Amino acid sequence: MTETAYDTIVRDYWLSKLFFDLQTPAAADEYHAHRDSVLDRYPLKPEVRLAVVEEDVVALARLVNPYLLRFYFFAIGKSEAWFLDRIRKTRPAVPNELARG
Amino acid sequence: MARAWESVDRPRREIISATFAELARRFGEVRPDVLIVVSPDHWVNFFLDNLPSVCIGVGETHKGPPEPWLQHLPYRSITGHPEFALHLARTALDEGFEPSLSHHLELDHGLAIPLWKMGIDPLPPLVPIIVNSIEPPLPSLRRCLAWGDLIRTAIDRYPANLRVTILATGGVSHSIGEHDMGRIDEAFDRDCFEQFRFAEREELLKFLERHLDAAGNGAAEMRNWLVAHGAAQEKGFELLGYHPYPEWYVGCGFAAWNLGAR
Repeated sequence: MTETAYDTIVRDYWLSKLFFDLQTPAAADEYHAHRDSVLDRYPLKPEVRLAVVEEDVVALARLVNPYLLRFYFFAIGKSEAWFLDRIRKTRPAVPNELARG
Repeated sequence: MARAWESVDRPRREIISATFAELARRFGEVRPDVLIVVSPDHWVNFFLDNLPSVCIGVGETHKGPPEPWLQHLPYRSITGHPEFALHLARTALDEGFEPSLSHHLELDHGLAIPLWKMGIDPLPPLVPIIVNSIEPPLPSLRRCLAWGDLIRTAIDRYPANLRVTILATGGVSHSIGEHDMGRIDEAFDRDCFEQFRFAEREELLKFLERHLDAAGNGAAEMRNWLVAHGAAQEKGFELLGYHPYPEWYVGCGFAAWNLGAR
């Protein structure tokens, strides 16, 4: 199998790290209580931090793994319907014609 | 599935439960000394810091699923089979494969739910094999099939008689956290089963290389099926059930490989 379009997707490491860390219940609790101070520990680019604060699914979807993205919004208390409504407004990570090889 | 079990109506839950029961019946007939489970890792053991393509769990014990909604499962500590696992690792290295090794994995819902729904308790000693199907670049489909060949070789070379069962989890089509989340591609899934049943190795690989990425990011877990298919020498695929339940966002497929088949 040769390289696919998926192979060249670049993740935002610190955003990914934030979402990954929040899988720990204690970290999620702290995030609920003191979001800004938690965010201060992650060197997020200003536009990325803004997207987090604004709960901008479309912007964040381009930067992290889809499973982590879904988990994050679940962890901060968003309903599945809320998430589905927004994620379905995003574009494919790679165009369908590329995905089909 | 487990988190949303009740979201599916009772008649369809009973249908899929019957399929799990059939799988369990076959599992019980084998009475394995060791259970190899090929499954994904959903950001539990690995992160972008360290993301192996394939990891063999060689420890004496492993930890059960960390998901808060699975804490009632009877799998808090899972006994490993380090002798066979290390033999598999040695065989891999001898044959030109370089797996990652872990002496203590946390085994998430991808592994635990099928075993739980099959009612396997207690578990036989378990050798987990984690295949990266979550974060690109993923191991090639051809390599996953070759991993199956390798497992078969390792079993053949093991110096003692062991009854070995291989359980591959995940798939079929599903999309999680993507623009088409919830889409199930039934046509792909059914074609996929036919390919596993009838196609020669190269034909199967060609089909999957052409269509798998378009069946959703979760469909990448079909790599695990390829490992099992390779271990069965690509023979005897039998579809036990297919339950494309939109409430669970996944086309749930169940199959067995009848090793006596030609």
